[in-house]
Amino acid sequence: MNDHAPNRTRALTRRNVLNRSSRFGPNMTPMVDVTLVILIFFMASASIAGHEWFLRAHLPDAQNPDLANSGYTLPTPMLSAELFVRDDAILVRGFGADPRPIETVIEQIQRMDSKLASGLILGILAGDEVPYAAVVLLHDAAASRGMTVAIR
Amino acid sequence: MRSRSIISGEGVGARINVTPMIDVVMVLIVFYLLVGQLAVDRKASIELPASAFGIDHTQEEDPIVVGVSADGMISINGQTIGSQRFAGEIEGMHTRSPNTPIRIRAHRDAPFGVVRPVMAQLRDAGVMRVELVTEQKR
Repeated sequence: MNDHAPNRTRALTRRNVLNRSSRFGPNMTPMVDVTLVILIFFMASASIAGHEWFLRAHLPDAQNPDLANSGYTLPTPMLSAELFVRDDAILVRGFGADPRPIETVIEQIQRMDSKLASGLILGILAGDEVPYAAVVLLHDAAASRGMTVAIR
Repeated sequence: MRSRSIISGEGVGARINVTPMIDVVMVLIVFYLLVGQLAVDRKASIELPASAFGIDHTQEEDPIVVGVSADGMISINGQTIGSQRFAGEIEGMHTRSPNTPIRIRAHRDAPFGVVRPVMAQLRDAGVMRVELVTEQKR
């Protein structure tokens, strides 16, 4: 029994020394916690919200269909796209003799020579029932070829 | 004995441990930030259309953000506004700072019949150019 007593005393003493020394240094736990929580928050918010950007559109005077004389100067010549819905399909009038599906018109625009297209204005006129996303889709294709887009 | 116990660290051990409190407070803050953000998004209910081309936002000037939800609810800088008040409000803002860009955040499924009146009112207020906010196509 007596042999064990000094060992126990020594062990306790070492533990005390360790405890005491750990209290004197800066406590990193809250900082690590906060950093991790902030990191997770930003990771989550970044994955929820996609990257946003924008497309520029002109708003010519609706009363005056002639864009060149609509109160401010726009380059000419002009293309006109009229979007409407028929049998649940979005069609575009103005790119050929007959109305064409929007996908065909987008392909047509994407095939255009960007040098030629960059000097053009695309005037978009859409029916009430046309989804806004379809207007943006056409606008996107035109803007990618350097066209100026005017929404009427 | 008394002085020895103070020196040996018993007094230091009696301090209040604020670590759990900081943890809990931070978790609560993050929770309310997330919930608040989700609530705002749900309130606005605006899912943006995607585009492969776009111009990145610049921090030069704070734009006027016009929101249009799928059911035609209009907002200016996050504040819902009636369509009657919208024209006057936007005209005032545009007159005060004509160079401030105007961004339209419209729901992708909104029929154009809902977006067109907003654009018409902007045009009537003297706005010649707008920026249509989209989400980058992945």
